[in-house]
Amino acid sequence: MVRLKHRYLLVNILFPDLKNAPSAPRPKGVDELPYAIQFHQPSSDRMNAKLLMQMIRNGVSELFGDYGSGMIAGSLQVKYFSQATSTAIVRVSRDHYRLVWAALTFATHLPKPVNQACVFQVVRVSGTIRKAEEEAIRRARLSIRRAKRDTKTAQKVGGSADGRAAELNEDKDINLEDVSGFADGIDDADEPGDEDESD
Amino acid sequence: MAQTNPANPTAPSKKRKAPPQNNTAQQHKKQKTTSHHRARQRDARTLSTQTAPSGSLDVDKFVAAREFEIHALEQGMQRSKKALNRRAFQQVPKELRRRTASHDVRRVPKRLRGRAGREMVEDNTPTGKEREREKGRKGKGKMRLRVETVKKLRALGARKREDRVKGDGDGDGKVTVVDPAATDGLAARPDTTEKTVVKTRCPRTKKAASLAKPPVPKAKFRKRQAHKSWLPTHGFHAKRAHMTPPSAPLWRFAVPLTPTQKSYRPTHRASHERGAVAWDTSYMATIGLEGQQRSVEGVLKALGVEVGVKGEKWRRGTRVLETFVLEREEPHELIAPVTVVWCVADGAGTVEDRKVKRKCWLRVHPSAFFQLWEEVVRLGKVAKPSVSVEDLRFEIGSIEITGPGSTEALLGALWPSRRPDDSTEEETPSVEKTWTGLAGVTNPSMLPAGALLGFNIQDPRLHHPPMTISLPKSQEDQNKLLELLATWPMNMTQQPPHLFNSSSRSQGSKLPSQKSINRRKSLAPPGSYPPPSSTDPSIPVLLYTTNTPSPTTKHTSTTPSSSSWTLLAPWKTIQPLWYSIIYYPLSTGQQPRFGGLKEMQQLAFEGGRAWFPADFPGTKAGWEWECKERGRRWEEWRRRPSGKRVVFERVDLGEGKKGEVGVGWACDWERLVGGVEAEDSVVGGVVEGEENNDESAEETNNKPVRNNGGEQTEKTSDVSVEEKSKEKADLTHDRKPEKKNDKSQNKVESETPPPLKPSNLTHLTSAQALALLKPSSNPIPDLKGKITTIRLTLLTRGVPQTCARIYRLPAASAQPELRAAWLTLLPITKHAKNNSKKHALPKPRFKNEAPHTVQQRLARSLLEPPRAGDDNYPTCPGEEDLIGFVTTGNFNLAEGQGTGVGCLLVQKVVEDANEGKTGEGRLCVIRNAGTTVGRLGRWDFV
Repeated sequence: MVRLKHRYLLVNILFPDLKNAPSAPRPKGVDELPYAIQFHQPSSDRMNAKLLMQMIRNGVSELFGDYGSGMIAGSLQVKYFSQATSTAIVRVSRDHYRLVWAALTFATHLPKPVNQACVFQVVRVSGTIRKAEEEAIRRARLSIRRAKRDTKTAQKVGGSADGRAAELNEDKDINLEDVSGFADGIDDADEPGDEDESD
Repeated sequence: MAQTNPANPTAPSKKRKAPPQNNTAQQHKKQKTTSHHRARQRDARTLSTQTAPSGSLDVDKFVAAREFEIHALEQGMQRSKKALNRRAFQQVPKELRRRTASHDVRRVPKRLRGRAGREMVEDNTPTGKEREREKGRKGKGKMRLRVETVKKLRALGARKREDRVKGDGDGDGKVTVVDPAATDGLAARPDTTEKTVVKTRCPRTKKAASLAKPPVPKAKFRKRQAHKSWLPTHGFHAKRAHMTPPSAPLWRFAVPLTPTQKSYRPTHRASHERGAVAWDTSYMATIGLEGQQRSVEGVLKALGVEVGVKGEKWRRGTRVLETFVLEREEPHELIAPVTVVWCVADGAGTVEDRKVKRKCWLRVHPSAFFQLWEEVVRLGKVAKPSVSVEDLRFEIGSIEITGPGSTEALLGALWPSRRPDDSTEEETPSVEKTWTGLAGVTNPSMLPAGALLGFNIQDPRLHHPPMTISLPKSQEDQNKLLELLATWPMNMTQQPPHLFNSSSRSQGSKLPSQKSINRRKSLAPPGSYPPPSSTDPSIPVLLYTTNTPSPTTKHTSTTPSSSSWTLLAPWKTIQPLWYSIIYYPLSTGQQPRFGGLKEMQQLAFEGGRAWFPADFPGTKAGWEWECKERGRRWEEWRRRPSGKRVVFERVDLGEGKKGEVGVGWACDWERLVGGVEAEDSVVGGVVEGEENNDESAEETNNKPVRNNGGEQTEKTSDVSVEEKSKEKADLTHDRKPEKKNDKSQNKVESETPPPLKPSNLTHLTSAQALALLKPSSNPIPDLKGKITTIRLTLLTRGVPQTCARIYRLPAASAQPELRAAWLTLLPITKHAKNNSKKHALPKPRFKNEAPHTVQQRLARSLLEPPRAGDDNYPTCPGEEDLIGFVTTGNFNLAEGQGTGVGCLLVQKVVEDANEGKTGEGRLCVIRNAGTTVGRLGRWDFV
């Protein structure tokens, strides 16, 4: 039987530009947040699944023209978008998920009404939504653990400059430990066990 | 923390058109339910999300947001999983599942019915109601005519009935039949007898033995039983089992072959570990003998049933005997295994008087019935004073049941009609008391071998559905049970079973209508069965255990000898009994399973027993079975595409020998007994692959069976010498068959009867064979063509399949190297457990193995015997060492390894079997048909 096959992209939105972050900037000095948390900020209230979809469509048509937008038009769907964690699951047909991925990679801003600098990071490509969900859960658990640990160490170390250095080190350690820091998502998405890239 | 559900853009897809909408209110409701269904599914799939938290960012909010996400995703996964499948009928347990109309509410179990009904409405499942309504409405051509005819017929019938009632009122033609057997004298004579009395005499066994006629079925089913008969439980089995195809009944019966459910492993478990397996074996034939004890004994003796002093209890009628019967004429060919049951003599325990009239039954497999019948009838006439022979085939039905729960299930179904009264605490309890005292027996082989119980039971329908009986729990009860089994009072107290009496059989068969039973059940207080009444028929039954002696070799430790109960009862009562047994809720859970012919074969094989007729190819019935199976296997082989079937003529047998020995899909006894010369002359008849002929012609042309009798001679005579040599050339070259252009010859071939049994192929029982193999046996008699059944165990690895070839080890004088090579494979330790290690598969090699372990392993491998596939693995012995074939082979679940049951030509093993230390004489090599690898095994008499 012929079956439509899809790919599910698990996407994180990162906000490296701290000044334009949606949440109010914190007073400097007292207790600065670890970078991990600062990057993974919640997105704006006005951002939603519809906007994300629109953004992807525009991006694909810009990069790949009518061909690209036509190819993904039938299958593109935002399955899940959470503002609080800036996480999304995007569904697209198996043959053209790279177009969407490319559009996400090239995006530098959230679309118009929000208009905020950001980075889209595809952390996992899977054949079923279940696996994407499982991965999202795993990452959420990991970032909770990391955030708790970071704040503890930050409090212990105290001073701002030293604290930052320590945090950086900490981050590195974590990256070595469990291959899932915020910078290595793409590597992660291509684990040999994954069932993507069948062609 | 508001939850928002992101809009799901997918519109619900419609597989079916909308449900019929009659009025607006209903329409509204139905639409609502449908949309509700879709919405539920959508809800299940959407994931709940959070809006972004307001205010400045901190760790707590960060963590809380993640925690919410984790929760939401996990919930979502679970919900969507639940919503995925699950219509109510998909949740029915496996054994209750059905395919036909499974969506129908009335076919799902009651507890799911409400839900299923709702789902049917929601899904707008077509129920067929519309069509029915259409039918019911008059006015449609054919249907209207039919309805009118039915009406007319009904009116006619009503009028007739009225007339009859009126006629009875006159009271002219009233005849009352008084059965002298039923009423004792004139005292019980009813008042109406003043009119006309026809006195009948006691039914007697007819002098001239005649074959029993199957019971006349209801008109509705008569046409379907024109060439066969149904078992009493046909209705039950036809729904749940694969039956013999209507065109090919087995032994003139429609026999269940195997349950439609998967049942190989469940049957094994039910019979060995937990549960019970039951069969309706009513097809087994019963032959009744009646006459003076000495003449009946004479008949039995002529059939080869001779038991000395040991058979005292059997002769008295308190045990059954399982043995073999032989033909009376000189070669004394084996007919079949039989069960012989004596009826207890009236004057209890007077066996000395050998002139007293007694009854005896022979129970035999239907495939050998006619052979035995003719023999017995002849012997009965010859005996002086003569023995009357009766065919009880459709009078006595039987049920066999095995497994740990078998006794319990029978106890739940068979309620003795005489209460096992506790008031009379005598030394010797009655049969009824003994029977009810058997609660707690898990293996019928705990009873004395061949123990027999004959008593009367109540109508089982009164106690339907059966309830779990109370089993003994205390130590005291257990002791009582053990004492009962040890003393076995039945030796003394068994009265003549009523089942032997034809009048009580017919009385017991007259069961009241189901309606009256239902009435009584509805009157009984809730939770209890209706009380027995004096007018209830008491059904005579006979119960005996079939003990299968545990195999003599290593089997003893692993599996206890399994044993089964056989229940004999009047043919007409088998059906209600069957339902009571099969629906009995076992104390260990579930109900007894039912089995077909295949399950019977399977359990015999697992117990290392021979199954008649398949494992007795030397008997007439066994040969017929073998021919049938041969045809089936050939058909299977032929239907495979030519690239995917074994090309038997190219099988490499080692040392330059090519081609399977004999026919690949058969246990080729003709070749083994007749030799290769016989084979070659018949080659024209063996047609295997196809070459350049068109398929259709080939199909009629290819005959599965080799013709050995008159057909063969006819052919060899008309095939010219030249042609014959050409055939031979073909054979040696590629064994591709010649094509046949001669139409007439084709026709002759397509009508050929099954191959005749080789004239000197005879079967020996294991006792006979053992006697022959004794070193002290006198001048060895003519052993040509004598085969006997054996059991095989493989000493290394491998699984023997049916038709596998059995070879003896090559003689030390002829091929010493080959013999030595085979003997190196023999495991050194005697313990069966150890050989598994030695011949296990090689361990996987690890990537980073230390060099010293690699070296160790290499060194060890030098001492290991060669594995199959290695260059130095010994080749299979030649055809001169072929000694037999495996008639049943498979992986044995009871043993955990491949075993087989086969037959050997005694002549070829008689020299070896006793010589050689450590039983080397019984070593053999087994090679599956169509393969090259031989496996070392050991054979033993069954």
